[in-house]
Amino acid sequence: MHDNEPAGSRLDPPRVSRRSFLSLASLGSFFAAIGVAAAGVFRLPTPTVLPGPVRRYKVGHPEDFPVGSERLFPKENVFVFRDAEGVYAMSAVCTHLGCTVARTGEGFACPCHGSRFGLNGDVLGGPAPRPLPQLEVTRAADGQLVVLADNEVPAGTRFAV
Amino acid sequence: MATQLTPPPGSNAAQEFLHNLRHLPQTFKDAWLRLGKVPESEREESQATFHNFFLHIHSVRVHVRSLAPTLTLGLGLIATSSFIVLCITGVLLMVYYKPSTELAYQSMKDIHFTVATGRFVRNIHRWSAHIMVLAVFLHMARVFFTASYKKPREFNWLIGLALLVVTLGLSFTGYLLPWDQLAYWAITIGANIANSPRELTDALGITAWFDPGGFQRRLLLGANYVGEDALIRFYILHVFVLPVVLVILVSVHFWRIRKDGGLARPEDPMGGGAEWGGRVRPVFQPLATKTYGLMALVRGRRPPVNRGPENTMMSWPHLFWAELAVFMFTVLISLALSFFFDAPLKEIANPAIPENPAKAPWYFLGIQELVSYSAFTGGLMIPLVALIGLALIPFLDRRPGGEGVWFGTPGERPVAWQSALFGFAVAVGMLAFTVNFGWLRSWFPRIPQLVILLINPGSLLVLLYAGWSLWVLRQRNSVRLAAVALFTCFLVGFTVLTYFATVHRGPNWQFYWWPSQWPVH
Amino acid sequence: MNDLSRLYRWLLLGTSLATLLFLSVAAVQENFFSQWQVLQRQYRAILKQKATDARGQELYRNFEIELRQVSVPELRAVDRCVTCHVGIDDPRMTDVRQPFAVHPGDILEHHPVDRFGCTVCHQGQGPATNFRDAKAEDVYWDYPLLTAELTQSSCLACHDPEKLPAKQVELLLAGQKLYQEKSCGSCHQLKGRGGNLGAALDDVGSKTRHQLTMVNIEPPHTTWRWHVAHFRDPAGIVPGSQMVVPPISDQEALALTVYMLALRRRDVPESYLAPDKIEEKYRELHPEPLVGEQIYTAYCAACHHPQGQGSNFPALGVRAPAIGSSDFIDVASDQFILATLEAGRSERKMPAFAAAKGTLSADEAQGLVAFLRQRAPRAPSLAEVERAASDRALGEQLYQAECAACHGDRGQGTPLGSPLATADRRAAGRAALHRALAEGVPGTAMPRYTRFTAAELRSLIDYTASLPTVPGSRARWELGQGDPNAGRELFQKICAGCHGDQGQGKTGPALASHGFQKAATEAFVAATVVRGRAGTPMPAFGRASVNYPRLTAQEVLDLGAFVKRGLGVKLQASQPATQPKTGD
Repeated sequence: MHDNEPAGSRLDPPRVSRRSFLSLASLGSFFAAIGVAAAGVFRLPTPTVLPGPVRRYKVGHPEDFPVGSERLFPKENVFVFRDAEGVYAMSAVCTHLGCTVARTGEGFACPCHGSRFGLNGDVLGGPAPRPLPQLEVTRAADGQLVVLADNEVPAGTRFAV
Repeated sequence: MATQLTPPPGSNAAQEFLHNLRHLPQTFKDAWLRLGKVPESEREESQATFHNFFLHIHSVRVHVRSLAPTLTLGLGLIATSSFIVLCITGVLLMVYYKPSTELAYQSMKDIHFTVATGRFVRNIHRWSAHIMVLAVFLHMARVFFTASYKKPREFNWLIGLALLVVTLGLSFTGYLLPWDQLAYWAITIGANIANSPRELTDALGITAWFDPGGFQRRLLLGANYVGEDALIRFYILHVFVLPVVLVILVSVHFWRIRKDGGLARPEDPMGGGAEWGGRVRPVFQPLATKTYGLMALVRGRRPPVNRGPENTMMSWPHLFWAELAVFMFTVLISLALSFFFDAPLKEIANPAIPENPAKAPWYFLGIQELVSYSAFTGGLMIPLVALIGLALIPFLDRRPGGEGVWFGTPGERPVAWQSALFGFAVAVGMLAFTVNFGWLRSWFPRIPQLVILLINPGSLLVLLYAGWSLWVLRQRNSVRLAAVALFTCFLVGFTVLTYFATVHRGPNWQFYWWPSQWPVH
Repeated sequence: MNDLSRLYRWLLLGTSLATLLFLSVAAVQENFFSQWQVLQRQYRAILKQKATDARGQELYRNFEIELRQVSVPELRAVDRCVTCHVGIDDPRMTDVRQPFAVHPGDILEHHPVDRFGCTVCHQGQGPATNFRDAKAEDVYWDYPLLTAELTQSSCLACHDPEKLPAKQVELLLAGQKLYQEKSCGSCHQLKGRGGNLGAALDDVGSKTRHQLTMVNIEPPHTTWRWHVAHFRDPAGIVPGSQMVVPPISDQEALALTVYMLALRRRDVPESYLAPDKIEEKYRELHPEPLVGEQIYTAYCAACHHPQGQGSNFPALGVRAPAIGSSDFIDVASDQFILATLEAGRSERKMPAFAAAKGTLSADEAQGLVAFLRQRAPRAPSLAEVERAASDRALGEQLYQAECAACHGDRGQGTPLGSPLATADRRAAGRAALHRALAEGVPGTAMPRYTRFTAAELRSLIDYTASLPTVPGSRARWELGQGDPNAGRELFQKICAGCHGDQGQGKTGPALASHGFQKAATEAFVAATVVRGRAGTPMPAFGRASVNYPRLTAQEVLDLGAFVKRGLGVKLQASQPATQPKTGD
């Protein structure tokens, strides 16, 4: 677009360079200030503290879970199982993209992209990158079982009751 | 240079692809910046201005007087700069702010205590708002005292007034959003000023049929109290409606500056560069053509080619240095204030506990003082009359002369001084009288409201100022001088009222010498 | 002009550098040196020190310097106290300084931090992340941090304090007890019960400092400092306050303050209420009737004195009459007391306690009357009287002072009182005379005389019996009819000075008021006119006095007729206007 005629023609005399130290310094400091301000601007939307309460769910008394039983708590997205060794809780959130898994014969299946998990959470197929996490179980002061959905425990952990 | 950017002839597609890939930074820079380098000649400098979307609203050359800090004091730029800062910080605050009575105050506390840079950003928003209002006021005074509203700039003066109103509206609507005691009670008062035409309609007994006050209030609040609906309405106004209106008006304002031939200034001297201290270099060489002139100046006053010295300089880089400098100056001021002073946040709004005194932000306090005499007269009539008066100035004072020069016509400075003195004395006298002796209601408790509506310290003040202006008109036989007299009186009166209401009004709107004397409740 | 450009470039350089400086300082301050960050670094050092076992090392490794908060949506609490009080639930933190120490006691076992937060008990500004703002004594926040001893005031929201370990809620329990003992309910209403002279106290704990008069309080202006000072000297804190507080100690004032702070209407979800709180609420809705003595202590004693001898409050211009003394209790019928409880006394401070949905149910009002009666002095029994010595001079003196006004100076009877010296009276015997004196004759103007000793009664009975027999008989005697018109003149002459010419009350109580008219019978009026009211300026017109004429029996009847029928008729005509303002 711009004229290719070289600068310094009779009509458009060249001028002394304005790249003086002052210009560079002032422009540099200006952009530095804007840069720091921009850093602040991008810092702000990053939450420093997560809102919302601790995810700690009371699921019931141990006697509500006879050996061999299993229950889904849909609001909390948690499966609670009881076997001979004790109680354990499994997250019902698919590790692929966060859909809620359903119970199947072999274990769990995710309806969104077809991930399949075994009963202990292992990935059997589909795109899920890691097993379903097992969650910590403790007991509240009133004797009810409590699932701590924020705390992951190694697979195979049992809470003896 | 350009030749390097084309692939060597005879190269195959793969070589061409690699070549283009290698030169990607350069071609990308060219495409983005068009010129591709720092301009080195005046033509390139003018292109830098002209070919840039953000800069092309400037003319490529700017008159040397317009760049002088003493003419404009940079006030318009300061106002614009603070508006830019306000937009940025405002959007940032919107990330965390929740416009609901349940959550608004809580989100303010989150912004204050946990959001990274949140407190700082909110402070900057608050202080920039103050700076913007102040700059807009001062900018108006500057334009008036340099007679810059005169033909052909009448319309831009009107746009400027609209911008003043929108600026105040933005400030007022932003006041409610924190949902604290300060906000709640200031807006309650503001909403009732909107309701104040009822003073008149009640006095006339026609409220049942004609109720503009109630209509305004309901329109503003969406209810008959300040609550959730009012908050949402204020929020919409504050973050969308008014900013959009302001951006449109500002664009028109800038565009008109160019259309009206740049900032107002006296005719250039024909004699030679000596008047400018000999520092002006004629830019137009004897062989300059008109083609060049067309590119330099789209329309408006064209420099008299071949007829004298050219007193303009290139916008790039001189004007842009000035603009950047003023922008950073504004940022620095608001930053420094934000660093040392937190924006206020009182207790959560509580309709059961009125703030005492419930004071509006400082720029409304002059009006609040007038409102304390009569809500309708002080809150609506006097501001309306003042606005109409301001709007009429360029149409009533049409004699050219003095444009772009502080107190440019003969006798202006003395008249301004006298008017300032008169305006000060009358305002102070009126306040002193009212504080010491009360007003009609204290002497005749059963006096009809209609009388107070018409005769109160505020309306008398306006009448006295108008009378003074008319006297100047007769005495000095000059519309401009009468306008100067009236404008100065209003400016001084407004300042006195603002100061008085800020410092000397305490709980129950009683007079106190200092806030430290306010009684503990 | 190039120097103009230079000027702007210098300005740009200067402002940009200064901006950079401010931004950097602010960034460093916020990211590295805010109070909580410094504290958490110190805490991490403590954690390292204590990391002696595997669990401790894990805690130390996982510790991050970050803002912490407890969010409890049910209680509308977002509490960031744990940002600095990081060790609040770590049992190892017993020997470290604040703010790192573990929460004392076993409170957290029952109130886990992540379910309750902090401010639900401690108040203060939960969202704050520095101590000054969290404490909130001199910042804009409605409820500042409670001091340790005041924190128990929060227990009431979810607990019945009686069911809590007494040591933990010592002050709260003491305050609750003092409220009853000091008879605060005489003037203040709580849960729908109590007088209406003072403000209702159901939500007094919600008040903020802006709602209290702080002018006489030294800063910091907290509500509790106000309460403590106000309990010691109400009028000194709130000029013109009419509140009467019996002398109490500092500790008692503190206990009452805790109770006041506890009285808050709080919207606590049911799942947070202790079971005993729900029972307590049930009891509130279905209250067990109070017994007479409790009622008297809670709602009467502040004004009428715990033993019923009355009190005088010169500052208020109020004299609460003695209601335990024989002067009152002998004259006042049950119906009079009940009616007064129901309607109060207008132009007096006596509130209506037993009005519809008032403080006292009908049964409780009866119980209160029974209590007053049971506590009242009793006349000596007939056997005691007969054992006592007789003195004719004393008997005559008593007869002339107390009996002659109605029964005639020779026992011949008057329109106001039946003849005593008739043959049929003689036949009825001394026992009948004694019964009449000891218990009065309900429905007539004859009061009981409990203040006489056995000797006095013996002398009086002997004297009466010794009066010469007069003709006529008790059975044929009828109460005279008063003439309201004659009564009106008399009323204007001798009563209007104190009771007002319309009976509206001046220095004396209103007689035309609804409450009085409902309570007082003609017999009560007549008896009061004759005997006067001890402890008040009301004289006994049945006795000769320097200041007042001795009224004849007919005059007393006339007055009674006027007061009940003359003023009463007027009342009915203009009832709405004279509707009693129970209150003051």
